Amino acid sequence: MHGEGLTHVTHASLGWIPFFPLLGALLAYTIGQKAKDMAGWIATGASTLSFLTVVYFFFSLPAAGYFEHNLFEWISVSGFHADFLFRFDQLTAVMCLVVTGIGSLIHLYSVGYMAEDESRPRFFAYLNLFLFSMLLLVLGGNMLILFIGWEGVGLCSYLLIGFWHKNIAFAGAGRKAFVVNRIGDAGFLLATFLVVMHFGTIDFVELKGLIAGHSEALMTTIALCLFLGATGKSAQIPLFVWLPDAMAGPTPVSALIHAATMVTAGVYLMARMHYVFDPALAPVAMLVVCTIAVLTAFVAACVALVQNDIKKVLAYSTVSQLGFMFMAAGAGAYWVAVFHLVTHAFFKACLFLGSGSVIHACHHEQDMRQMGGLGKIMPWTAATYWISTIAIAGIYPLAGYFSKHHIVVALGDAGMSNPSIAAWDTFFGVVATLAAIMTAFYVTRSACMTFLGEYRGHAHPHESPITMVAPLVVLAALAFFGGWLLEGPLSLHHYLGAVIPVGEGGHGESIIASLLHSWPGFLGVGLGVVFYTKLTVIPQTLSKTLPQLTQILSDKFYFDEIYNALVVSPLQKGAHLLWKKADQAGIDGAVNGTAAVVDVSGEIARTVSTGQMRHYALFMFIGTVFLFLFYLVL
Amino acid sequence: MDPVSHYLILSALMFTIGAIGFVVRRNAIVAFMCIELMLNAVNVSFVALSRHVGGLDGEIAVFFVMVVAAAEAAIGLAIVISLFRTLRSVETSDAAGLRL
Amino acid sequence: MSLTFCIIFASACGVVLMRNPIHSALCLIVNLVAVAGIFAQLEAHFLAMVQIIVYAGAIMVLVVFVIMLLNAKQEEGSYSTWLIGLLAVVSGFIFVDMVGPLLSEGFPQSASATDPTVGTVEAIGRVLYTKYLFPFEAASILIMVGVVGALMLAKTDKGKQG
Repeated sequence: MHGEGLTHVTHASLGWIPFFPLLGALLAYTIGQKAKDMAGWIATGASTLSFLTVVYFFFSLPAAGYFEHNLFEWISVSGFHADFLFRFDQLTAVMCLVVTGIGSLIHLYSVGYMAEDESRPRFFAYLNLFLFSMLLLVLGGNMLILFIGWEGVGLCSYLLIGFWHKNIAFAGAGRKAFVVNRIGDAGFLLATFLVVMHFGTIDFVELKGLIAGHSEALMTTIALCLFLGATGKSAQIPLFVWLPDAMAGPTPVSALIHAATMVTAGVYLMARMHYVFDPALAPVAMLVVCTIAVLTAFVAACVALVQNDIKKVLAYSTVSQLGFMFMAAGAGAYWVAVFHLVTHAFFKACLFLGSGSVIHACHHEQDMRQMGGLGKIMPWTAATYWISTIAIAGIYPLAGYFSKHHIVVALGDAGMSNPSIAAWDTFFGVVATLAAIMTAFYVTRSACMTFLGEYRGHAHPHESPITMVAPLVVLAALAFFGGWLLEGPLSLHHYLGAVIPVGEGGHGESIIASLLHSWPGFLGVGLGVVFYTKLTVIPQTLSKTLPQLTQILSDKFYFDEIYNALVVSPLQKGAHLLWKKADQAGIDGAVNGTAAVVDVSGEIARTVSTGQMRHYALFMFIGTVFLFLFYLVL
Repeated sequence: MDPVSHYLILSALMFTIGAIGFVVRRNAIVAFMCIELMLNAVNVSFVALSRHVGGLDGEIAVFFVMVVAAAEAAIGLAIVISLFRTLRSVETSDAAGLRL
Repeated sequence: MSLTFCIIFASACGVVLMRNPIHSALCLIVNLVAVAGIFAQLEAHFLAMVQIIVYAGAIMVLVVFVIMLLNAKQEEGSYSTWLIGLLAVVSGFIFVDMVGPLLSEGFPQSASATDPTVGTVEAIGRVLYTKYLFPFEAASILIMVGVVGALMLAKTDKGKQG
């Protein structure tokens, strides 16, 4: 229905968007070797240029159409062809604005945050390389280009998680992220193969026109494979375990990659390939998406309740919020998922950068029990953190409310379009609401423990430099007004309607009604403030009376342990067995055995070789004699 | 003139004696002389057969064998001298450097 | 006739059996001269002369000269008897194998075999400078290379020091 009537314009300059960060990465690394302080500014400049280019394209984009830029024909094999094609439509525009906009702010922030790190040229090169990959991902006009970006961001994520690679645990966290992501990538690849096999094209626009009339089983398989890819990249059950560990990376990385942009790639994928995730074509797949999303949101929120590491709280919060996005996508409201993606990028980036500011101030202390009372010392950081807290809690009129409200509404309506979900939507609604209340609670808890009360640490905290505060203020402003802007004046609903089905949406409601709909946020924030300022006995008593529950939560439902027992250690044992038995005993044994045979026979044969010329002559004569005999006998 | 087979028997005997000498004697110069013996054995059979079949090719071959023998004598004796200089010996059993 | 054969056989054995290299060398000279006699019997006059001039003259003088120069003493130690035994067997094989079949089959004899003008210096020279001109020139180069090589091998490093 959207395929017709779209105009598409070939625009040769689209390549500039990813080109700037790529160039920036090269320059930041090479020039950075000579002048370390230049690296950050080069990277920030490249990122900003890219952002300005995106803004230009955003404003010149026709209301119903898209830009295309075919760099070259990449693969052309017997009827199948894949171009190196960039496509810039409304969805891409939104994603590009978020990626480059927030990316630029975080680059600026990193200039301050990483000012004392020895390897900052490498850091900024990786960061720009990440932007490049992420832009490939969102600009890619077919599944293959998207996959290049998909792998590229995975690689950059790995490199940046393990940025302080001299710490073994940090390097291990990077490896874990890489391996877990790989499982998801296998799903994505399988989906790509299926698509090539059954449709013969991987171009998103061509694919859209071919989708109708295929069997439900095929569509469900493709959708589930794609979703497996999404769970890997976007940290959903069962593949979410890497994201909390990914906090080993520098905090700006956590903000950019592991909160605002890369982890939302799965959501983007679902929105981009929404015609595969169609409630009418693959209802069971959508039920699976919703179930996983709701469970993830709930489980991650529970675990976040008891974390003491400020970044871990935010990491589980990210997992939980990604669950909310997938709820919307699973319910078929892709524009709502993108809406929450954008608002989440605002407030979660702000929260992460705020936590980074605090960690920077406290000399790399991340335990909230060693903080407290920082509000007086770091007023800017505290203020922006609180704004984002209220935004994520979903209180009107801050950004989080609008997107979350839409999610709840979409989840309630999902049963109408998808009968598979109908039986479950009450359950989904209740669990999602519980997760929302807990979200508000644990973020408030972290804010209270960090900024209120008395300082409990030993460092000498100080407010962060202007390069760090400025991005915080911008992001806080976006977290404050962003939702309202996108709901009203800019109308994301209408804007994205050009590329994805958006349904009814946007039923205006009064301020009173909105405030009433914010009740989970008010409840959570209220409880949080009360528990962690006035009545601190309550959480303490709770953890004492229910030690098992606390233990389970702080051990993250034993996900890591279960995976270790079920997957990692059998694999390790198998590998060990292969190493010891097959490789060392079998293959090495065969090789060494051959060598030993040669060695022994050589030892025997070398007795013939005496070094005495006369003996050699004798052998020669004997040989001649036998040669004669041979001829004579013949 | 004897039948050609007599010359061939003589040639075979000379060659065998030369070969045994080369294997048995350790003095490099004597070994060298044994090589000359073997070359001469071959020369004898060349000439005898050449006469027998009535051509000159065999005798020309003998001429070239002599040329090679002369060159070999020059080089071989030079090697014996430098061997003696290095090892203070002309025993071939002392020049066993081919084996580690 | 058979006297020449006997001289050749005896002197060849002498070359191998004499303990003193100089005696070996003298035996070899006798052997070579006797072989020259064989050549003369076979009417290869040119080769008989060259045999005496080049072998008995030049090469053996060189050998004796080197023996004197190096003052090589008598060989100490004895020949290993098992080696001699083995060699006797081997040489028996060679003897029988090489000659036996030839004797039994016999050779066709050509008409020119008895032509006395075949082995003369003139005949040899004619063939050598026409049909075998190129091998002849190559042989001269070989000799020259041999001379230069012998010089290089035998000269001491005194030239460099001086």
